[in-house]
Amino acid sequence: MKIGIPRSFYFWLYPGLWETFFQGLGMEPVVSGRSTRRTLEAAVEQTESEHCLPHKLFDGHVQQLAGRVDALFVPRVLSMTAGHICCPRFGALPDATRAGVAGNCPVISIDINETAEPLEKTLIRLGRQLGASRRTAAAAARAALDEYRRREREDVLVQHAPRDARSFLLLGHPYTLRDAFIADPIIGRLTAMGVPVELMTFEEKNLPAGPILWCTFHRMHRRLTAIDLHRHAGVIQITTFNCGCDSMMTERFRRECAHRKVPYMLLMVDEHTGRAGIDTRIEAFVDSLTWKKKAAP
Amino acid sequence: MTERLAIPNLGNYTVALASAVTSLGIEAWWSTATHARAMELGKAAAPESLCLPFKAHLGHFIEADNAGVENALMVNSVGTCRLRYYRSMIEQILRDMGRPIRIWGLGFDGFKPPLIRHFDPPLIPFLRAVALAIEKIRTIDTLEIHTAATRARERQRGDTSALMDACLSELAALETKKDVQRFHRAIPARYAAIAIDASFTPLRIGLIGEVSVLRDRLLNQNLEQTLGHMGVEIKNFFLLGAELGNIFGIPVGNRKHTRRHLAVVARPWLDCPVGGHALDSVAHTISCARQGFDGMVHVCPSGCMPEISVRPILRKISADLNIPVLQLSFDEHTSPVGVVTRLEAFIDILKERRRRGIRPLSTKQAVVG
Repeated sequence: MKIGIPRSFYFWLYPGLWETFFQGLGMEPVVSGRSTRRTLEAAVEQTESEHCLPHKLFDGHVQQLAGRVDALFVPRVLSMTAGHICCPRFGALPDATRAGVAGNCPVISIDINETAEPLEKTLIRLGRQLGASRRTAAAAARAALDEYRRREREDVLVQHAPRDARSFLLLGHPYTLRDAFIADPIIGRLTAMGVPVELMTFEEKNLPAGPILWCTFHRMHRRLTAIDLHRHAGVIQITTFNCGCDSMMTERFRRECAHRKVPYMLLMVDEHTGRAGIDTRIEAFVDSLTWKKKAAP
Repeated sequence: MTERLAIPNLGNYTVALASAVTSLGIEAWWSTATHARAMELGKAAAPESLCLPFKAHLGHFIEADNAGVENALMVNSVGTCRLRYYRSMIEQILRDMGRPIRIWGLGFDGFKPPLIRHFDPPLIPFLRAVALAIEKIRTIDTLEIHTAATRARERQRGDTSALMDACLSELAALETKKDVQRFHRAIPARYAAIAIDASFTPLRIGLIGEVSVLRDRLLNQNLEQTLGHMGVEIKNFFLLGAELGNIFGIPVGNRKHTRRHLAVVARPWLDCPVGGHALDSVAHTISCARQGFDGMVHVCPSGCMPEISVRPILRKISADLNIPVLQLSFDEHTSPVGVVTRLEAFIDILKERRRRGIRPLSTKQAVVG
């Protein structure tokens, strides 16, 4: 059985997990290609006009897969960290996909709620639902989690590796920072300018209760409050058009950074974002910080 | 001089909240719709991409501060929507603007909510004030229902709206539960006195969506009255009485509107509460199709997280059950003319469907999936 995995949203929340898991169950996972402008243009025909940009891209990936697989996999990611929640959009995602872009393609779904149930149990339950024996499901779940943790560790080593110069910290959600359409032009520009870049990582598992309930933002907030300006020259926050969580939290981060004198720039990516506009803003931000450093004795 | 407390806008229900505050000996500062002036202030001070209700609340409190009000009350949410953070964001923005007004939440940090601790009302009058507010909320539910039914059939356009306004200002002045109950009982007779065209069968439309836009006349461009004057009987699914029951888990009024029941109704299309009133929107659309409503109007602020995320589902239900759903989103640039044009076009479609005898399908006839 071919099972479609859109390379968007939950794919980036759990890197490596889903392909390994479905392979372990003896299925054939099909992951859609990297996001391009075409992914978005194809989606615009069918998707809801007021969805946020990542959701529109998600719909584009679903469309790419819909005729080519036996079923699509769209989990309902309610909580990824005990005591924390995800964006409310994820609550309606499987149903909205079924009602909209998936068309006649069946959608397989499961509730992921790590506040209520550890991920391994959820995976075993999903495996059993798909007709695997308990033993196969358990083995597939373990292999998938191992792969996920290995990739996460590897990524942390890469991102946290010492740099020659002060680097720029890129903040965003896993599904914006790793998306080829949203983040690649930004990372590409910084790299071309010879500026070291560090992407936000989300490996911290036991988050203490805090004022922010959205787990990704809570981690970003902790990272921002602990930022070391000897290591980082500044922070670039990537936000996407119509993202409700971002609209609330980036304003808060901006205020806090201004208060604590941390250089912070907000880059909004939307459907019409042109390279030139992004490049100009990045260059101006980087230049202003380098000049500031030169001016200071 | 006693301190004053600004109350957030909750449409006509603000009358009830204001009376509770007033009966505690605190002077209330309130209005039943956001002023256009407040909206301008909110727009100027708020971050661009936050939703319309945020800007309305912020502007409302800035206006209160301009009027020298010392305290304000902001609604909280314990849900998944960004509303949860609105109080602290409003507080921060006002502080940065150098405005002294204090924004209180309804949250607990111990035995008493901080707001109650600050004003420290004696227990018995406090309980009496709460009982009075609940009675007024139930009365306003009744007023809303009668207004919707009468306005579509009135002979003289504007009679019902005038009566509604008169009733609300009378209700605002009542000070005891007994008076409110007497007033409540007299409502049907007062509405019956309006001259109506009994032979006219109006279109029936359900209004669903986000609360502030459903209830604030400035935010929704006076949607209810516009539809009423087009000869449409509307049913606004946000009734605060029923809603309070949901918050505290007690069924008040219509049992069919409890969250648990709505979840069962919505399940074939949506199997998750999502947040805000997204589940309500889905469930009410399904049950209105069953009850033979002519159509639904779904309203939300532009970019509203829960309501926008269920829009594809509403479109599917519309197709599956053959019930037209008009989806309107509102921001500070929405013009009343644009809204009226879309409503007129929608009403024309509904009238034509009625003429041809096209009805929504019941769930049994429809193929779900």
